[in-house]
Amino acid sequence: MFPSSAFVRRRLLVWGLLLVIALVVLTAQMRSPDGRRIGWIGTAIEAVLAPPAVVLSRVSGFFADAWSFITEIGTLRTENQRLTAEVARLREENARLRPDAQENARLRTLLGFKQQLPYRSLAARIVGRDPSQWFSTVLVDRGASEGVARDDPVITSDGIVGHVVETAGSWARVLLVSDSRSAVSAVVDRSREVGVVVGQGQTLLRITYLSRDADVQPGDVVVSSGLGPIYPRGLPVGTVVSVSHGTMFQDATLRPASDVGHLEDVLIVLRGGSLAR
Amino acid sequence: MRYVVYAVCAAAGTVVQTAWLTFLPLGGGIADPLVPIIMTVGLLHGSEDGALVGAGIGLMHDVMSGSPLGLGMAAGATAGFAAGLGERSLSLESVWLPAVGGAVLTVLTAAVVVTGTHLIGLNHASAAQSARATLGSACYNAVIAVPIFHVLRRLDAAVVDLYGRSA
Repeated sequence: MFPSSAFVRRRLLVWGLLLVIALVVLTAQMRSPDGRRIGWIGTAIEAVLAPPAVVLSRVSGFFADAWSFITEIGTLRTENQRLTAEVARLREENARLRPDAQENARLRTLLGFKQQLPYRSLAARIVGRDPSQWFSTVLVDRGASEGVARDDPVITSDGIVGHVVETAGSWARVLLVSDSRSAVSAVVDRSREVGVVVGQGQTLLRITYLSRDADVQPGDVVVSSGLGPIYPRGLPVGTVVSVSHGTMFQDATLRPASDVGHLEDVLIVLRGGSLAR
Repeated sequence: MRYVVYAVCAAAGTVVQTAWLTFLPLGGGIADPLVPIIMTVGLLHGSEDGALVGAGIGLMHDVMSGSPLGLGMAAGATAGFAAGLGERSLSLESVWLPAVGGAVLTVLTAAVVVTGTHLIGLNHASAAQSARATLGSACYNAVIAVPIFHVLRRLDAAVVDLYGRSA
């Protein structure tokens, strides 16, 4: 049953011989310049086995990609949901912050303008609008308790907005220059032609009572003349858009200096403190 | 004839290992279907055949894997020789034989390879890394050795039936 010692020796001899051959091959190639030389037999083996390995690798790559695609569907769905929620959150945040940024810019401009004004003024926020389409008034969050009085001019950094027509406690109603009840004594800045700017209940204003031979051209800036009881001198009212010649006077259409249709923050010029800032 | 079958199986195993199994490492170790093939030859036909076939398969593995020639040859010869020692003393019907044999021979071949690389100054892996990789390969090979051993054993028997004992 047990192998003879000669048989065992023969097997050991074969194994030892193979180990020696392997060692010789190993050390021989390590002495070669490139550290590995497989010879023509190795080249032949590689020539036979490498192509199927490449094909198999490509096949496995295809299946790996397919498997990866399948297994990633769930991940992608989760990721997609997360990103969608993230986008929604960021959009909401962006929408929430955008008005703040715009308000910040407006207030900065307003603050800068306020500091330049030779009058005492009070910043106010538009808190309400006239719901009717016929008149143009707004409610502001400053009132008599803060020194706001009837006929106080209301302006922005762009120009005249209107004037206070009602005030009480902590609110005031402002009649906008676009209201047909509004009238502002004005002068064409370039030619110093005097007229009266009236509202039309529309976006555009009209300057009337300009003399027939007045030099008025589209693009001319119209400012308050200071002759009226309300507005101080030199505040922009609007820009001439077109001029029409009447029999006795000229009229001109103005684009308001302030975007009265989209007001949010204004300055109320306190007439009682017109000598101070 | 049976050696042609083994050669074809070894070639297929080498291709599969090169193309697929190297991308599925387990603890740094990869499955090596050549070890179970060498083990099967040794267990079925003894140490001489095991060592010779193991050396040939190991050399082929060296060529295809790009490792220093002779390392796989020495490891394969040793694995085949060791497997052949159990040709008559181990029960081929044992359920555990292929798995245990695959794992043990994996450790043995790793020992030969590590020794060989140390001899030629190429081994820079730490003992822990080598042990972890060997353990991973041993686990892999223990699993794949079972089907490989049974398939090859049946193939071997079929070849004997077809071509006679001399095959």
